[in-house]
Amino acid sequence: MLKKSINKNVPAFTLFLTLVFSLLPASISFAADVGNCLLCHKYPGLSRVDEKGKLRLLFINEDIFNTSVHAKVKCEGCHTDIQKIPHDPAKKVDCLSECHITEPSTEQKFSHKDVETSIVNSVHSKVDKNGVEKKFSEDIPTCKECHDEPLYRPMSFFKTIRSGISEEAMSRCKSCHKKDDFIFRFYSHVTSRLHRTKNPLNIAEMCGRCHDNAELVARHKLSTRAAFSYGETFHGKAARFLDERIPDCLDCHINKGESVHQILSSTDPKASINENNRGKICATTDCHPQASPRLAKYSVHAEFNLEQSPVQYFFTFFFIVLTGGTLLPLMGIIFLDLLRRLFPNAVIKRRK
Amino acid sequence: MEKHPVIKTINGQKYFYRFTLDQRIQHVILFWAVITLVLTGMPLKFTSAAWAPYLYALFGGIKAAPVVHKIAGVILLLLFTYHVVYLIYNIYKEQIIPLKNKEGLNALKVLKVVATQPLVPNLKDAKDIGALMKYLLYLTNKRPDGDEFTWKEKFDYWAPFWGMVVIGLSGLIMWNKVLATKIVPGYVINFSLIAHSDEALLAALFLFIWHWYNVHFSTSVFPMGTVFITGYLSEELMVEDHYEYYVKVMKEAGLEHEILPPHGEHSHAPQTERRRPQEGGHA
Repeated sequence: MLKKSINKNVPAFTLFLTLVFSLLPASISFAADVGNCLLCHKYPGLSRVDEKGKLRLLFINEDIFNTSVHAKVKCEGCHTDIQKIPHDPAKKVDCLSECHITEPSTEQKFSHKDVETSIVNSVHSKVDKNGVEKKFSEDIPTCKECHDEPLYRPMSFFKTIRSGISEEAMSRCKSCHKKDDFIFRFYSHVTSRLHRTKNPLNIAEMCGRCHDNAELVARHKLSTRAAFSYGETFHGKAARFLDERIPDCLDCHINKGESVHQILSSTDPKASINENNRGKICATTDCHPQASPRLAKYSVHAEFNLEQSPVQYFFTFFFIVLTGGTLLPLMGIIFLDLLRRLFPNAVIKRRK
Repeated sequence: MEKHPVIKTINGQKYFYRFTLDQRIQHVILFWAVITLVLTGMPLKFTSAAWAPYLYALFGGIKAAPVVHKIAGVILLLLFTYHVVYLIYNIYKEQIIPLKNKEGLNALKVLKVVATQPLVPNLKDAKDIGALMKYLLYLTNKRPDGDEFTWKEKFDYWAPFWGMVVIGLSGLIMWNKVLATKIVPGYVINFSLIAHSDEALLAALFLFIWHWYNVHFSTSVFPMGTVFITGYLSEELMVEDHYEYYVKVMKEAGLEHEILPPHGEHSHAPQTERRRPQEGGHA
């Protein structure tokens, strides 16, 4: 019903918007919006129903976009297939394309191509070591599966509660650098990389989108629903209560100093979680510096599952039986006691 | 002893001394610590429940609530240690030493003293459970004649006792995981977590359903039992739950002629009527 009415109203609504736009004065110009795309895309409600019948919001929030990591990239820098306005339905953005930004250290056109190399070497590669395409390679995540743009979180050295730019931190840049616009951009560029853009719960939920999907877990023969079992540990529970000091998936599954895109399979001898390297994970300076390698024998992803962790299964089972075996008879007695009190004088065989 | 007579008469009603001030203070510390531990622990066990973040926030959220939990845990463990020392000291001073002076000691005699402590489960408890079931299933109109501590009270004592050992030990292991894993492998922490959280749920449900039903919510005591505050139990409840012990205490106090008949039924109206002529006679 709802879908139908949206479908019917979209052309009329678009026409209305076009009329309104044509009457409005030219919008204020934006740093990256050379193509004047925001002329249309700045209006909330700008949307259409695509071929699959899915409602797509085409609105760009200027405030969010202008503080995002891509603020300085022109729209056409990523949407390379758009040549004229009004444009045809745009293709999906390929993050590996060269965008119209010059990388300052090499003065080459910028691209995320290097990340692809990391991914290809990681467990999330679509091809195996011999370059042969893996089974179910369509399940393997691409950039946007994890990078849901743009979650901008600033450094919090100078303030711990407020979000946004820290004036005190900016003032340190200003003592040497003069152009406000440059300082702002550089500050955002550096801080958004030093600070995590997602909190541990966001990370776990992001990985969980695939790793908690029972179908995918079975298809790829994984031993656990990873984010779920992580959620059963103290780390996962603290993450759920929005603790940011707690380790998430990336802290254990990536070797210190490596790109976050280089997650390796536990069978890989170079992997941080490989049997021979695992002992070092817990004992990092920021976590449990005094810990012996034995601490890493903790099974983070143990589940109440007979096949995966039989000993823990029976241990938990014992407590379930103990709980049921204690409480059910006692609650039965309470129930009978309440009934008895309803009919205090009723008795089958009265004793003198 | 004179300060706390075994039987106290207030407004013509008899009250029976059950718990010393020391024991009552121990119990208050125990329940405050346990309630705090449950309130700061359950949101962590049921993290995804809708109420969990709100209850946790009440104790300062993820930064402060674990500290509150540990403080309460330490208080409970100190209380447990005190209680065990208190228990051994009292048995030693009041039973072992007099026995030693009277007839000398051997291992068998000490074992007998320990085995006949009022809170140690015995054959009578099994019989009482059987008798209670008969009563609850309307097979008889006679309740079991309870001793000083009934099987329910022994359950209430030993369940938290075992619980504190299990939950305390596993809690200490998880708290001092780095120290613990110098000796034991990390998967001991997995088992500690299971034992800690599952046993805690059992203990919480046991206390808040079973214990509270018996001491507060049952129609005989509702809305609240007061023996844990005053140390004295009313004659009515003495007769209902501890008849055997009641008769013994009354005889020791030389009040044989005032002993009330056992409660057959739960009805309260006949009781007061039954008491009235005796009160008149007493005056």
